[in-house]
Amino acid sequence: MNRLVNRRIRLLLAVLTFAFAGLLLRATWLQGVRASSLARLGQTQHRETVALPASRGTLYDRTGIELGLGERATTVYANPKQIANPHAAAAAVEQTLGLDANRVYPELADQTRGFVYIEREADPAQAAALQRLKIAGFGFYPEERRSYPQGSVAAQVLGYVGIDGNGLAGLELQFDHQLSGRAGQETIVKDPAGRVIDVQQQRPERPGRDVFLTVDHSIQANAEEVLRQTVEKWHAKSASAVVLDPRTGGVLAMAVQPGYNANRYPSAPRDLQRNRTVTDTYEPGSTFKLITVAAALSEHLVSPSTRFTLPYSLRVADRVIHDAEPRGTVNYSVAQILAHSSNIGAIELAEMVGRTRLSSWISRFGFGRVTGIDYPGESPGIVLPPDKWSGSTIGNVPIGQGIAVTPVQMAAAYAAIANRGVWSRPHLVDHVSGGGRPSLQRHRLVSPQVASQLMLMLKDVVAEGTGTYAAMPGYQVAGKTGTAQKPDSHGGYATGRYVASFVGIVPASRPRLVILVMVDEPQNAIWGGVVAAPAFQQIARFDLQYLEVPPDAPTNAPTG
Amino acid sequence: MAGGVVWIGVVAVLLAGVVALNVAVLRLNMQLDRLARERADLRAQNAALSVQLSSQASAPRIQRLAAKRLGYVQATPDQTSYVTLPH
Repeated sequence: MNRLVNRRIRLLLAVLTFAFAGLLLRATWLQGVRASSLARLGQTQHRETVALPASRGTLYDRTGIELGLGERATTVYANPKQIANPHAAAAAVEQTLGLDANRVYPELADQTRGFVYIEREADPAQAAALQRLKIAGFGFYPEERRSYPQGSVAAQVLGYVGIDGNGLAGLELQFDHQLSGRAGQETIVKDPAGRVIDVQQQRPERPGRDVFLTVDHSIQANAEEVLRQTVEKWHAKSASAVVLDPRTGGVLAMAVQPGYNANRYPSAPRDLQRNRTVTDTYEPGSTFKLITVAAALSEHLVSPSTRFTLPYSLRVADRVIHDAEPRGTVNYSVAQILAHSSNIGAIELAEMVGRTRLSSWISRFGFGRVTGIDYPGESPGIVLPPDKWSGSTIGNVPIGQGIAVTPVQMAAAYAAIANRGVWSRPHLVDHVSGGGRPSLQRHRLVSPQVASQLMLMLKDVVAEGTGTYAAMPGYQVAGKTGTAQKPDSHGGYATGRYVASFVGIVPASRPRLVILVMVDEPQNAIWGGVVAAPAFQQIARFDLQYLEVPPDAPTNAPTG
Repeated sequence: MAGGVVWIGVVAVLLAGVVALNVAVLRLNMQLDRLARERADLRAQNAALSVQLSSQASAPRIQRLAAKRLGYVQATPDQTSYVTLPH
């Protein structure tokens, strides 16, 4: 009996030993050999590393109105391999996201692909509607979409942001580093229901910095509207305007028409997306005579009252140059040369200054090099060095032909005269949040006395010269008209293609604004005083009212 | 014998405390996650409202409405009077 019991006990012991040995071997296999791969598998099921997207900084105008800011959007993607019924899925996409089912279906039916975008930066409410249908194979993740609430206002200045949130043009590109934040990351542990139960590692996101512009959205919108009307009235190719504060160089408006809606930049023609006031050049014509006169005054060769006897036409090397309107020989003072925009008078002055000194003054006024405005793609303009001048160049450049400048260069030059001879670098950004205001870059161009003499002469241009349409009641206006033939592709000038411009300073006694208007290829009329000066007047009238600038014209006296 | 029972009680209380603490941490983590999502939603709503506010405050829009609905026109500089106050 005892032997039988002992045998059974030994048998049980053997069975248990084998069972435990088996368990031990299995445990060793799982814990030792397959430990790391199983641990990884387990981690993927309950641990997840998620990116914390950083929001892009906002672009504010001078008054604190948002011009460009980030809005939440949802990107919808799909794994076609997991889509059981592509037809039904495409119909659901059409119903919720409003996309064409016929366009989406081939993507969803393509079983060779594991990932396709259905819509980047979709409307979050529409994406949520699709998500609620719980169709297997669709995925969703949040993204930020750039929005420009003012639509077309300052579209060329602001530029745009690409689908991945990088600045691609304009201020969005120039200040991309500051506007872009740094994405964060966190490793989370989830329970079987997908709820977060622990955060193991976290690097918080750093939002982008806000950028505050000197641009005022009201001044900008008004300038764009005036330009739109001007282009329409004169059937012009385009028009540009720059509104500067001469005391600081701050740009209050930089308008180009035709424009486009910044929210629809991908469909806007490339040509419309350029901020021509900075990137494009034009031959300025008579507005450039200011530089010729400034050089002659600064070199103490003449005074505003120095008189010249001027024939109607003048031979310079192989060219015959004449004034715009047929006339007999006249005796003009320097001030009258500017007021009547005499080509012959400007050339006489330039010949007194000489090519080397005139070149030096052109360079001193900043032509031929970038102003350094905080905007990408600035053109330096085209200025011939003195050793490349031909015999007839002295008959071209002093009257603003044979030289190409940008509107912002020209506006900055006039702003220097308005600012008692001190040039300030034009700028679009006042400050970036978290940083101080950048110091103003400025240097003296001409003496205060010369600046004052030039201001008086520019007032005469509006009072009795070619710029009378720029005058406005209550304010003294100083300015200069310009009408220039456009160069053709053969090195000559195109027939019937002109640029009409006007640069004005207002109020002349205490300048607050410098406004440049440039109209490209106007029809029916070509003169700066007829085409561009009224646009200047309209812009200035609104701006002075808006900025509450008191009138400076003497009461009971004829104005401007 | 009595000392052993006390020790068992102490260990049991400590274990219950550890479990309670872990449960509390878990609850806080879940709450934190919910609040983070709520914060993201509020930020998104805030951005959407800012876009709306900015477009509503757009100067051209206000001018257009003022002209169309109320018949207002932009005042000219000569229609504006400025008063110089004595110092």
